[in-house]
Amino acid sequence: MRHIPEDELHSYLDQALSRTQCVEIESHLAGCEGCRLTRDGIAALRDRTTALLAALAPPRGFMPAVDLLRERAAARSARLHRRRRAAAWAASLVVALGLGWWANTYVSRPSAVASRLPVTAPSPAARHADTAARIAMLPAARNAGRPAADRGPAGAMAVSTESAALRPTTIAAPRVELSTGTLPTGEFETSLGGIWRTLSWAGARDERGDSVPHIDGLPVVEVQVGQAKVGGNKSIMVVAQQLASGDVIRTIEGPAADVSQLLSSRPGASNPSPWPTLDSPGIAGGDGTMAMRHGDRMLAITAPLPNDSLRAMMRRLNAEMRGK
Amino acid sequence: MDDLEQLYQTTYAAVVRFLYRKVWDADRAEDLAQEVFVRALAHRPEKPRAWVFAVAANLARDEARAAIRRKRHLVLMTNDPDQGPSPTMAADDQVERDERLTAVHDALDTLTERDREVLLLWDAGLSYPEIAQQTGLAVGAVGTTLARARKRLVEAYDRQHSRDHAAYS
Repeated sequence: MRHIPEDELHSYLDQALSRTQCVEIESHLAGCEGCRLTRDGIAALRDRTTALLAALAPPRGFMPAVDLLRERAAARSARLHRRRRAAAWAASLVVALGLGWWANTYVSRPSAVASRLPVTAPSPAARHADTAARIAMLPAARNAGRPAADRGPAGAMAVSTESAALRPTTIAAPRVELSTGTLPTGEFETSLGGIWRTLSWAGARDERGDSVPHIDGLPVVEVQVGQAKVGGNKSIMVVAQQLASGDVIRTIEGPAADVSQLLSSRPGASNPSPWPTLDSPGIAGGDGTMAMRHGDRMLAITAPLPNDSLRAMMRRLNAEMRGK
Repeated sequence: MDDLEQLYQTTYAAVVRFLYRKVWDADRAEDLAQEVFVRALAHRPEKPRAWVFAVAANLARDEARAAIRRKRHLVLMTNDPDQGPSPTMAADDQVERDERLTAVHDALDTLTERDREVLLLWDAGLSYPEIAQQTGLAVGAVGTTLARARKRLVEAYDRQHSRDHAAYS
């Protein structure tokens, strides 16, 4: 005959068994003296445990009215609600700031950081070119007082190191265009004589295709196209772009004589000879301006930047232009 | 009177007792018990009885951790002012009572964490399924655990008690 396990008797006495199990156990107990003794022992153990634990009961204390607890519960709920609302506001603010930062970094000024690099930190090659240009400027300084006729075919403007015609620029367009930018007034107002047309970036691209000269990565503020006066029936283009500092950098491309005249006539330019004659590397500069002549055409950059930065930008622009 | 209020009226003392056996501080046990029911009234749990004891166990656990952090000695029942010497109790009776309480306390401490938890939940009035839900045991294992816990508690108490008597004789 199977006797009842002790743990089952514990469950039986704790009334944790089903009615069917209880009937089975009671039937067995009725005919099993040993199990009855075991049950009695477990019942005594159970009662003794209860008595021991009862000794550990705390003294009867004050039981607060349930209404008091309800008030505390209501206050707690209100406090939790306020915290959740504050947390939601904080989360919204963080998301908004994050989106703003993201938009400012990757949408509004896509390459602002990258575009500063060549300006503030020219490459070693650019520094080398800058040094070479400074050395090359020594004979130019010696020639400064000589008549223009003695200076060779380039005259007093710039050095002609490339006989090939300027090839169309195919520099990638900026990813974002600033159509509402404002140009500093005064700089070109007096020099842009004649009829100038102001185009949008898209308009300039429609008109000149990929040959619109510009610095990649900077937002385009304005594109102006004028009829060349000296260089025959050709156009001169001035592309104004905005630096991260807010200053404007202009890239000018057109017949060499017209570009030179435009640059020398602008306010503050060193007249009458801002372009010393250079043998190498073909970049002339001064007064925040760098220019490179390709045959009868000239590419120039003007910006309130150090010469080495301008020189690096000019080299980069020229290399990209010629690499296409 | 809603269900929660009824539960409060019938279970508050059991919750205080359950907490007291964990934190060994009558005032703190009452504070925690009130906190348990405030939370229950705010959350309105589906199974309030099991929920109340589950929260009570968690609060007691947090309290024990905080006490350890503060390196504060737990207040033993013998130091409890409410259980201090009674003016009407004879000195010998008081000493015997204190010894007994200390022995029970020590006996309870000899149990494993799980055995002690199951025993205290059962003593608080929870059913086997409720104990199983709170402790993670199978319902069928609750009876086995309780049988072992009861046996070990009584054995540990008897050992402790006889040792105390031997020391005095």
